[in-house]
Amino acid sequence: MDAFGMGLVAAMGALATVAGASEDIDSDIGSQSNPNSQVQLAAQVGNPHRIYNKAIAGEPPSNALWCTTAAIMAYVLIEGFQMPLLFAAVAGASLAALFDGVMSTSAYLGRNASQARFNQWIYLDILRYTTPSIMAHVWITSFCIVLISIIQVYVLTPHHPFPIPVIALIWGLTVGAIGSSVGDIHYGGEREFQWRLFGQGLNTMLSGQIVRKAEAGLRNSIDNAWFCAKFGGPCTGMGFGLTVFLDNWRTTVFDPVTQAGAAIAMGLFFVIVMNLYNFYCEVSARRKYGPYPGYKGDIAA
Amino acid sequence: MSIDTNTIVYFLEIVVGGLLVGIGVHFVPVGGAPAAMAQATGIGTGTVQLAAGSGLTGLLSAGLMMSVTDNIWPILATGAVGAMIMMDATMLTGSWIYAYAVGAPFASAKVNYDPITKFSQPPYVAPGTVGQGIPTVCFVSGTIGAAMGGIGGAMIYYPLMQINGNPAMSAIFAIGIFMVDAVLASWNIQGTIEGFHDPKFKKWPKAFKACLVSTVILGLVAVLIVPLAGGV
Repeated sequence: MDAFGMGLVAAMGALATVAGASEDIDSDIGSQSNPNSQVQLAAQVGNPHRIYNKAIAGEPPSNALWCTTAAIMAYVLIEGFQMPLLFAAVAGASLAALFDGVMSTSAYLGRNASQARFNQWIYLDILRYTTPSIMAHVWITSFCIVLISIIQVYVLTPHHPFPIPVIALIWGLTVGAIGSSVGDIHYGGEREFQWRLFGQGLNTMLSGQIVRKAEAGLRNSIDNAWFCAKFGGPCTGMGFGLTVFLDNWRTTVFDPVTQAGAAIAMGLFFVIVMNLYNFYCEVSARRKYGPYPGYKGDIAA
Repeated sequence: MSIDTNTIVYFLEIVVGGLLVGIGVHFVPVGGAPAAMAQATGIGTGTVQLAAGSGLTGLLSAGLMMSVTDNIWPILATGAVGAMIMMDATMLTGSWIYAYAVGAPFASAKVNYDPITKFSQPPYVAPGTVGQGIPTVCFVSGTIGAAMGGIGGAMIYYPLMQINGNPAMSAIFAIGIFMVDAVLASWNIQGTIEGFHDPKFKKWPKAFKACLVSTVILGLVAVLIVPLAGGV
């Protein structure tokens, strides 16, 4: 263990936290992934809206695409043209953001055009000022992930044997999987359905009845980003940050050559602690909220 | 081209790895899009995506370990631990949102009592939903599934690395085999499952057979591609 390595792992954890948060907010602004089903359904059940609608792909494959695109450009600049690492990451992230802008625009236009029969309009003002914020968040995500990959391959010892694009592909898939599993709940489970009773999952009967009015005027996707940046985004960042930090911390503190057993045991310790913490969350939620008042079965709470 | 004992062992390792991935997916509690709306129990994403996210994080750890040692046991163990850390971090942060943002107590609609904690479930299932959140049994099941996925990914990567010695090619091939088996298993459970307590879990032998066939074909390609093509 050396102080420089620990500093790098801490930097990777911080970068991963930022990447996770920006990934989630990007998907919330674009209504990508799971909550997209409700946004897509809303117009069909008679609720046309001004929410941005881009489902380019599932979150993990689309983020894997952005991050790999950025990493390939960075890899070419570093290996082929001996460019500085940071400059290469910036250039790669910019390319990924441009790709995302093209796909977001075509996704928004295509999806809303196909819903013309349900009276869903294409709002050019939404397209104009929401697309750049999606691109900005994709830039942050892919920049952070390319930087993590660069640190793992070129700086941190032992150097990772995979090339940068493969590592970025895997981290892109992972950050998308976490954003889709964690942040989407805050947007889909809470923000889209704020008018139902608090403290319960979405009743199937309410599908498609998303909130369309904002604190002032009509709700748009920037309002959703404002809300989800308070809890869903940071939680996603925490999930991805924990994954990157804990996984690399144990192989940095303990030498994987001589202390492989200790590194594995430390990982198992983290896993057990997280299992116990989830049990605590379950018990505290059950105690705080209690059973649903309308329950008529014969099983005691 | 010659087929020796080592080649057969590598081939068998790839097949066992693929089967572990296929069965491991059955343990991961995924509820798909309804779970993201707190409408179903489990993690709110697709089976393949989550299994891939965790298994490939394990593959990254295993790849790092394999660059410093050739002993298979630490490689498999570190793959499992990497995958478990990713899966648990995801489920834990998801639980924060279920508990503290949506404000829903965790409940499974598939069993009356949690097999591990013995907590009653039906009184906590919100009307019009099939459960919400990640109860302890789902969390433990997800951890087991991640471990199997991580070991499976590492077990596919290890022989590929021994055959061609190229980390990038082995990783991409391992990702490919991983995806095939995860998708087959996902079809078997029709996209959602709560874990080993879910009645759908009993369908695992079908996925076992399908994964066996697909991995045998992929394994043959994997071990023969280098001797046939003359290396890279």
